[in-house]
Amino acid sequence: MIIKERQSTHVYRQKQLFSKEELEARESLCVHEQPAYCNAACPLKLDTKAMVAAIASGDFSKALQLYEKITPFPYILSALCEAPCEGKCKLCTLGEGVSVRELEAAALCYGERAKKKGLLRKKAKKAAIFGADLFSVFLAGELAKKMYPVTVYCSQSDAADLVAECIPELPAAAKEATVADLKKADIKFEFSTDPASAYAETVEKYDLIGASYSVAQQLYPGLTVDETVMVYREQKLLTGKTEGVLDAAFAAKKAALSADRLAQNLDPSNTRGEEGSVETRLYTNTGGVEASNRIRITDRESAVAEASRCIQCHCDECIKGCVYLQHYKKFPRILTREIYNNVSIIMGDHMMNRPINACSLCGQCSILCPNGYDMAEICKLARENMVYTDKMSLAVHEFALMDMVFSNEEAFLCRKQPGFDTCKYVFFPGCQATAIAPATVRAAYLDLCNRLEGGVALMLGCCGAICDWAGRYEMQEDTVKFLDEKLAQLGSPVIIAGCPTCKKELSRHETIGIWDVLETVGLPEKAKRMDRPIAIHDACGARGDSQTQDAIRRIAEQMGCTVEATEYDRDKSPCCGYGGLTQYTNKEVAKKMTDKCLERSDLPYLSYCMACRDRFAREGRESMHLLELVYGTSADHCPDISEKRYNRLSLKNQLLGEVWNEDVEEVDLGFTIDYTTEAIEMMDDRMILKTDVIRVLQNLKETGEAILDGETGLCVTRARLGNVTFWVKYTETETGYLVHRAYSHRMTIQTR
Amino acid sequence: MATEKTYYTIDPEGKLTCMKCKVPLRKGNAKFMYLDNGFPVELPVCPKCGFVYVPEELALGKVLSVEKALEDK
Ligand SMILES: [Zn+2]
Repeated sequence: MIIKERQSTHVYRQKQLFSKEELEARESLCVHEQPAYCNAACPLKLDTKAMVAAIASGDFSKALQLYEKITPFPYILSALCEAPCEGKCKLCTLGEGVSVRELEAAALCYGERAKKKGLLRKKAKKAAIFGADLFSVFLAGELAKKMYPVTVYCSQSDAADLVAECIPELPAAAKEATVADLKKADIKFEFSTDPASAYAETVEKYDLIGASYSVAQQLYPGLTVDETVMVYREQKLLTGKTEGVLDAAFAAKKAALSADRLAQNLDPSNTRGEEGSVETRLYTNTGGVEASNRIRITDRESAVAEASRCIQCHCDECIKGCVYLQHYKKFPRILTREIYNNVSIIMGDHMMNRPINACSLCGQCSILCPNGYDMAEICKLARENMVYTDKMSLAVHEFALMDMVFSNEEAFLCRKQPGFDTCKYVFFPGCQATAIAPATVRAAYLDLCNRLEGGVALMLGCCGAICDWAGRYEMQEDTVKFLDEKLAQLGSPVIIAGCPTCKKELSRHETIGIWDVLETVGLPEKAKRMDRPIAIHDACGARGDSQTQDAIRRIAEQMGCTVEATEYDRDKSPCCGYGGLTQYTNKEVAKKMTDKCLERSDLPYLSYCMACRDRFAREGRESMHLLELVYGTSADHCPDISEKRYNRLSLKNQLLGEVWNEDVEEVDLGFTIDYTTEAIEMMDDRMILKTDVIRVLQNLKETGEAILDGETGLCVTRARLGNVTFWVKYTETETGYLVHRAYSHRMTIQTR
Repeated sequence: MATEKTYYTIDPEGKLTCMKCKVPLRKGNAKFMYLDNGFPVELPVCPKCGFVYVPEELALGKVLSVEKALEDK
């Protein structure tokens, strides 16, 4: 069977991945960008988290810059703010929260205040404020910050008198500093003036009018203020009643924004955006964080120490566990948006094709994310979409797909146990077990036949996971149909899966794991004891399947293993790099995935998926598959890609002879082929099979087409096999050929 | 396709011989095709049987990178 390559890069077929609404619903599950609890609690929108981080790093001036952004009078606020942020601090759930307000004071104490920007031009609209209270003083400051020329008419005799009367509870030092701030501020004060009289005389000269609440009441008895905008609407008067310092500061901010609207002759409610404190949906894992108490701030060092208690609340649960997300440095919300956009590109480069195809589809993210964000599902949908719209190049998955075709054609075997008309069971070991550990599969099948009643059929093939992962939904439908017909022919037996992914993939039928059977009938006699500690790597195919996870652990313990728990085990297990075909599409990411699995423990790894065991062993880690342990078969060989195919075929032929007395004739090529070591390594790396080379050399025999490179002395021949042209560099031997090099390309070539 | 712009040229300089026709390969006009896109090139070609030689460096270099670029179109 040949899988059809896409016709052209100029086919313009499009299909939405999902609706805009669904996109937004999916994106909203990711809380990575949600504000920290302290930031969310602050109505003035102080970036508290960043400010505390700046202090923790010793940068008090940067902290002060952030703080000064939110208020014209930082000494008032840092002395008297009610600090709702402190109550919301995540550390309060463990011990004492961070002393944010004291850190603000420390920033003022040790930081350098930003220089006043002298170049900004004053606005044309002029503002006047009548009467001084906490609100109107803050308002004057806010308006001055916005570059309105501001005049304050008040009864107090000077700045010190004003501060003493409006904020009597302010500590002396802050009082002094605030007086200095008022003097430095670009505010004109008309002291010792009766505000109400001044209002009557001068109000016409100003465009924007504010008043202390008592003066406003004096001017307009019984007035009602719209507190969402701090305006007495009838007179467009910025005023209102406030309680406490933070409330006054926030009210002044609202009023200052209203001033902007009024200055443009707009309704003060017009397009104000988000104001005040907000709810946050952030999740922060406090695992590993110890409860601690506040550190009294007396100097720079103690301020840094207190700020260093802050855990900088954020959510990166998925990224911490997922190498794929780490590799692309994107958290799910951004990745989803980019994949969504990638799918909508009709012409041009699809920059996200590689990330879409690099995900192992293992589903770890959906477990680690507090909201179950499922990046795997999105990548899988995107792959199916690419296949549907003919944007999925065959190149990325062809090797794996052809491997699957090989499993279900040439190497496929489906037989009832001799002597049985129908079988109660069928053993389905999976394509990786047969490829990597054929002797183990043989031992397991013979054991099942011996010890189970009712007959055990054998089916050697692929469950369909490969085409499922590749997004080839049509191929998958065909595979389902094919396997279901074969199962029906066996009398619909219970499937005994040797691989958790097969178990999941075949779950439309009654399917159990071979580990379930081994628990029921007991371990075979020659099962070797392994009295040592091991780490279990849970297969991604068993995610959410605690029954399987438990069974594996019980069997391992029965065999004398001490199972040590690892971080990211069971449902949280990362992928070994084989899942989702990452091994084929992105070797670099796949390697990182394997490394991530192995860094969790220095112990030998016990796995129950042969692909995991193979990838770990390849990295030089002692690793074995549960069945290798149970049947005492060797677990130290890592076959190359050609051997994996050969193993499947020869297992089939061996069992056909041994169990069913059918002898398979070996095909005689009529010539011998030898390979240099360099050629063997090169072929494994370049995904060129020995069977490809055989076909190229058979073609050479038929056509005689080859060239001689006089410089190297090597002959070169080629053949087009399916969608790929394979080239082989060889020398002739007495009986055939010695292969020196091999390479391939997908482009076709013709003369013109 | 723009009129026969040549993307790549290799001159065999007499170092390559067609084993079938027993003649040296010569620089000849050829064309790579992939996913409905064509790239004219000049490669070693047998003047008798038309065998076009794609050297390993070309296959793993330029050809591969063009393939990859087109696969993402
Ligand atoms: Zn020739």
